[in-house]
This record gives sequence, C-alpha cells and structure tokens, in this order.
Amino acid sequence: MNHIKLLFFATIRDRAGTKSLEMDIPANMTIQGLKDRLSTDYPNLKDSMKSVLITINREYAFDEAVVPANAEIGMFPPVSGG
Amino acid sequence: MESSNAPTIYSITESEIDLNELLAKITLASTGAAAIFTGMVRGVTNRGGAHETEFLEYESYIPMAEAKMKQVADEIREKWPVVEGIAIVQRIGKLYPKTPTVLIACTAAHRDTGVFDAARYGIDRLKEIVPVWKKEVGPNGEEWVEGDYIPKPGE
Repeated sequence: MNHIKLLFFATIRDRAGTKSLEMDIPANMTIQGLKDRLSTDYPNLKDSMKSVLITINREYAFDEAVVPANAEIGMFPPVSGG
Repeated sequence: MESSNAPTIYSITESEIDLNELLAKITLASTGAAAIFTGMVRGVTNRGGAHETEFLEYESYIPMAEAKMKQVADEIREKWPVVEGIAIVQRIGKLYPKTPTVLIACTAAHRDTGVFDAARYGIDRLKEIVPVWKKEVGPNGEEWVEGDYIPKPGE
C-alpha cells in the first residue's frame, strides 16, 4: 500500500468538507482508480470527479498516471486567478 | 539579450501589490521600457451577465502556484528572449472593488521588442495554469468563479 495526501481547493474543498485527507492506496492505483475510490467513499465528491483537475506533486496529472508513494495529490476546478 | 542576472519575481501574497517597488526591481541599466498589466476587482460588471460584486475571496495552492508562475516566466523568456526583467504577483485573500489583485510586468531595452505581447502572454497564461481561485460575493449571494482551461500533459 502507498500512503498519500490529498489537498482540496475551492469547490472541491467545499464539497469534501475538508482541506485535506490522508489515505492508503494500492501501489499500482492510477488517477482514474483514485477518482473512482473517492466517488465511492465520498458521495459528495462523485459529481466533481468528472471535471476535476488533478496534480501529482504539484504537476498536472491525467487519468492513466500511476500515483506514487507519498504523493501530494491536488484536486481542484479549472483555475480562475487574475 | 538575456543576462544571468535578469531579475525574475514571482509570488503569491496577502499584502498590497506595490507597483513602484516591483518596477524598481525589474529595471536594469539596459532597460528603457516596461509593459505592465494589472487587474483589479470590478465592482460593476456590464459584459455578459450584468451584476455587482461586493468583494472577491481568493485562495491558492501556494507552492504549486509559485512554481507555475516561474514556469510562465520561463515560457516568456523562451518566446521573447529580449525580455529582461519579469514580475508576476498574485494577491489573495478578501479583496474589494478597485483593489489591484494581480500584476504582470516585463522590461526590455525598447518598447518595440515584443514586450507588450510578453506581458499579455503572462496574464493569459497565469489564468490558464496557475492554481488560484476566486469566490465572488455580491448582493445575491456567493459563487465560485471557475475557469475553462484544461491543462495538457507537460503544462
């Protein structure tokens, strides 16, 4: 199992009800697998998982990417700075 | 000409954006031109869905945001090697109408070097890849503003 940390921002944080979570996941889990697991474990996040942006260790990551051990995973909507 | 001491400033801050201080830091003996873009909170919006704004509340994934601002600066230097100094600053927190929220400034030897385009690219790119979000609060309640850009692999 790999231990990872999740950070939620903006709408995703509101729906999660928390800024961060730590969890253990199988060593070969992909981003898609992580999204599926969050949708199951946290039903409030299910709709958000369709359009969420994901980062692994502060770089944008995509569904096929495997989540490494001790990863810092960011989850947030499209950015709106400026 | 890019020199090794070309100043690059990038930061997320809760403090007031000090244009004069930033401009001084990116002004060199060789620079005679600066293109500066600054955005501020708009209290009254007429374009699109007309509405009023009481304040905006900004938040950021700060360490990633500062790394992406550095990336935007690197992209500017790659596209416009004539650019000498670059400052990219985003203010976060609760910000009221007329308050500057973001600043992008690029300096170069002369004004006709592409320095205007470089600053324009900087603000456009910040709005695509730098993880900052704002919640808009107005007379009819609050709403997160969401962008529409989906970053591609390698961005």
